[in-house]
Amino acid sequence: MAVDTQDRPTATASESSTTARQESRFQRYRVRTGMFAWLMHRLTGVGLVVYLIIHIWGLTSLTDPETFNALIAKYHSPIFKVGEFALLVAVAYHAMNGLRIVLIDFLGWSPKQKRLFVTLGAVTAIIILVGGWPSIYSLGEWIFGPGSMPSLFL
Amino acid sequence: MAASKSNALNWFLHRITGTFLIFMLITHFWVQHYDHQVASVTHEVVTEKGQMPEYPEAAKEGVKARFGPDAEVTPYQVVMQRLADPVYAVLWKGFNILFLIVALHHGFYGLNNVMTDYIRNPMGRLVARSLSWTVALGLFIIGLYSVITAGW
Repeated sequence: MAVDTQDRPTATASESSTTARQESRFQRYRVRTGMFAWLMHRLTGVGLVVYLIIHIWGLTSLTDPETFNALIAKYHSPIFKVGEFALLVAVAYHAMNGLRIVLIDFLGWSPKQKRLFVTLGAVTAIIILVGGWPSIYSLGEWIFGPGSMPSLFL
Repeated sequence: MAASKSNALNWFLHRITGTFLIFMLITHFWVQHYDHQVASVTHEVVTEKGQMPEYPEAAKEGVKARFGPDAEVTPYQVVMQRLADPVYAVLWKGFNILFLIVALHHGFYGLNNVMTDYIRNPMGRLVARSLSWTVALGLFIIGLYSVITAGW
């Protein structure tokens, strides 16, 4: 029978006896900041390997000027510009989170890891904005017309 | 032997290659997207079939200075500027070969870490490892060929 107490709401109380073991199992997988950072590192990493394979394969076109020009022209299509931006986001995240891991492992910065996390997060945001501007700019110029986007640091 | 068994050397190398990649990627990114003379990718969307991206003045001047006033300013020619000077050609090819090795090692070692986490069967692990490193070796040969023969 479900008993309503202050620290245990009805729904949890009625299930607690049967799901106690499962609950403790899922506790380990509760997604917190560090876990999320690790999961994203893994996902972006696998994504970047896939990109690396396509990229190296695509560059075989360098042996023929016509094929290479066609490939680069294709890289300027809207969908590739969006992909280019997504690629930068993945690279910037993976690089900065990787740097965080290296600094903690090699320089023993674990006592400073909260501040390190925030600082590198800010650096990542700047890299994405400054580095991603060419892609955003080109998409904006295409959607809103020439001269509609500020060229900024281009 | 102990190092290869525990994979400590590869673990260490993964961090070293990762750090190197940050600097190499900054160079790669700058040259391909920001340098107005040699960047092969421009800040422009191209939707028409057969249309080529328009290059900045610096790139047009660079290509014409290298390949004559009648030279077409195509993506290929913009890239070839860097390889036209023999000294720079050797430097860039050297850089790109190193970049290729470092990126492939980092990427495929990381991929193997991920696969070992999800594949429990020792035989499956062996197959996944051999297959992935074969792909990496294949990509290395293909990449090496592209870098060396570019501009010939």
